[in-house]
Amino acid sequence: MSRKRLFVVVAATAILLGGGLIAALVVTTRGSTGPSSTAPAGVAEVATMLRDIPQHGAVLGSPKAPVTLVEFADPQCPYCGDWERTSLPVIVRKYVRSGKVRIVFNGMSFVGSDSEKALRTALAAGEQNRLWNVLALLYLNQGTENTGWVTDALLRGIGNAVPGLDTKKMLASLHSTTVTQKLAAAAALAREAGVNQTPTFAVGRTNKALTLVQITSLEPSGLEPALDAALRE
Amino acid sequence: MTDRHLRISVAALSTIGAGVAAYLTYAHVTGSPLACATGGCEIVQHSKYSELAGVPVAALGLLGYVALGTTAAFRSDVVRAAGAAFALAGFAFGAYLIYVQVELIDALCQWCLTSDGVLALLVPVTILRLRSTA
Repeated sequence: MSRKRLFVVVAATAILLGGGLIAALVVTTRGSTGPSSTAPAGVAEVATMLRDIPQHGAVLGSPKAPVTLVEFADPQCPYCGDWERTSLPVIVRKYVRSGKVRIVFNGMSFVGSDSEKALRTALAAGEQNRLWNVLALLYLNQGTENTGWVTDALLRGIGNAVPGLDTKKMLASLHSTTVTQKLAAAAALAREAGVNQTPTFAVGRTNKALTLVQITSLEPSGLEPALDAALRE
Repeated sequence: MTDRHLRISVAALSTIGAGVAAYLTYAHVTGSPLACATGGCEIVQHSKYSELAGVPVAALGLLGYVALGTTAAFRSDVVRAAGAAFALAGFAFGAYLIYVQVELIDALCQWCLTSDGVLALLVPVTILRLRSTA
C-alpha cells in the first residue's frame, strides 16, 4: 500500500471511530443544556445512593415493597433538608435497596416561591422517573429560604448531572398541566392527611391505610421503629 | 528515533493511559471518591456524559489504551496503521470530552485531562511509527 493511501485509510478510520463515539455520546445525552449552568454539590453521593433503585414518578423503590413510606416535605424546609441529607441515605440503604420499603414523595410548597419552583422541577423530573435524583440534589444544594437560591443555572446544573434525564424537557414542563395537577394533588393529600409541618411521614403496609408517624428525631432512628413495626405486621 | 524507541514510547504511554482509565473505571463502578485537585472529578464522573449506552466512558478508554498498547508488540503496517487510527480517534473523542467538561458540565476532571495529555503524545508517536515504515 502506498504511503499516501495508508495515511488516507488511517485518517478515514480515525474520523469514523472518533466521530462515531462523539455522535453516540451526543445522541445518548440529547436534551442537555448549554452554558450558564451551576455545577451542583453532592452529585457522586446521590448517584451512589440511588444507583439501580427503580423510580416511577414520585415513588422510589420496588413496587412490590411490602411497606410504603410517604414523605411530606417542602424543598426549602431546612429540617426536611437535614432529614434528606442525614437519614434518607440510611433508610434507602437499609430498607429501600433491599426491597422492603418504597418511599413516595409528597411535595409541599408553603415556604415560598423558591419552594414551588424547586417542587415543579422535581415533579417534572418525575415524568422521566428521576424525581429522587433531582430532589436529593436540591436538598444538598439548599440555600436560605426565599433568597432566590433556586436559580435557573442551578436547575440546569442539576439536570445535567442526572444520568438519563433530559434537562431541556424537564425545564420545558415546569408549568405543564400535568405538573400543575400533581402539585395540586400533593397539596390536597397533605391537607387530607392533616399535615401541618414538614417533614412529616406516614407509614403502613403498601396499598393499605397509612398512619402518620410522630418523629422525635431527624436521625434514621426517628423513623426506623415505625418501619420495622410495619414490616412485622 | 528508531522503531524500537517508538514502540517503547507507545507501550509506556498506553500503560499510563490504561492506569488512569482503570482508576476512573473503578471509581465509576464502585462509586468511590476520586483524588482530585481540580474539584470537579466526581461531578464529571457521575454526569450523564460519563456513560455511553450504559458503558462507562472510562472503560471505553481503558479498552482503547489496551488496544493501543497491543499495537506496540507488532511491527506490521496494518497494526501500526491501526495504532495511529486509535490514537487519532481517541484524541478527537478526548477533545470533545474537554468541550463537554468546560461548556456543559462546568467542571474539570484532572484524570480526564491527564488522559487527554497522554493521547496528545500518542498521536505524534504513532504517526511517526507509521511514517517510518510506509
